[in-house]
Amino acid sequence: MSDQSQLDEVIEAVLTGGLAISSALLLAGLLLARPGLLTAGIVLLLMTPVARVVVVTIDLVRRRDWVFAATSAWILGVLLFSLFVAWGLSPKHP
Amino acid sequence: MSDLSAALLFVTGAATGLVGALLGLGGGVFLVPLLTLTMGVPIREAIAASLISVIATASASATVNLRRGLVNMRLGLVLEVATSVGGLLGGLLASRLTHQQLFVTFAVTLASMGVLMAFRSGRRNVIADLDVDPGVLGGRLREGDVTYVYRVRRLPVAMSSSLVAGALSGLLGLGGGIIKVPFLNTFCGIPIRVAAATSTFMIGVTAAASAFLYFSRGDVVLTTTAAVCLGALPGSLLGARLSDRVQARSLKIIMAVVLLVVAARMAFEGR
Repeated sequence: MSDQSQLDEVIEAVLTGGLAISSALLLAGLLLARPGLLTAGIVLLLMTPVARVVVVTIDLVRRRDWVFAATSAWILGVLLFSLFVAWGLSPKHP
Repeated sequence: MSDLSAALLFVTGAATGLVGALLGLGGGVFLVPLLTLTMGVPIREAIAASLISVIATASASATVNLRRGLVNMRLGLVLEVATSVGGLLGGLLASRLTHQQLFVTFAVTLASMGVLMAFRSGRRNVIADLDVDPGVLGGRLREGDVTYVYRVRRLPVAMSSSLVAGALSGLLGLGGGIIKVPFLNTFCGIPIRVAAATSTFMIGVTAAASAFLYFSRGDVVLTTTAAVCLGALPGSLLGARLSDRVQARSLKIIMAVVLLVVAARMAFEGR
């Protein structure tokens, strides 16, 4: 049970950290009219859930909870596949 | 963009984030209609901005729910298998629909969920006997001084509704909570608060699965998205805190009424 609350704390830190940094970038980007900062803020925000899945997957592997580790790895795979497709769609990276 | 419209977008984000978190949704349900109907944002750009702000608000609400012990992480993981695939498919499909088709799909989705909420409210889904085994995916829920047990039933229903929720999330810029929460509560034995919290926990991942696609297709308008996200964050955090004080039953009835009204307005726009 304390394992679970430890994981909860790590997830909270990942989510809070991702949100805090990306919103700081978005705020600065809006106030200073800098599109580069806005892009960085949005990309970081998009990567925050991915980081959460990575953290959970690592934790499950450490606990040798293989069924749920495989479940989590599948989710990570779907996200990476979406990134891969998106990269292909992007006009800048044909 | 003028300072005024950025401020207006910020307020819109804050208001929809607040209401969304209060009702256990991502907030996109109200954000897309507000952006398209009252602010004239093209629907694809509204959907993209909504998806990204949904990631922000769901992540923020998830931190609050984790601390409260309402998130059932194992169940969330299993259902995320379906929501992430759905999100990806919805994101891919979105580029093939016209904007009228998007409006109509949005309206039909909201109306169906409103009807479902109106006619199927009031399931507590808890067992007072603590000796009952919650099973691999079930759990325990504390309400005041009392702890209850709940078991997950009809997993295939939970998985299918999560797949559909994911697809509609990617297609319409919703969190998908509006689909999952009623199904999990009505058919799968999960208490409403746990269903809402676990759904919110999944939404960041679900929305990310399609948001990458919107981003690379150029539908993400930076300033609009940034202003909406910055408003949605404090709004949703406040909503998540207040949601503890709202009665489960009134929560469902408010949700049903609002959904039907918004659906009618969106259908009118897609005619």
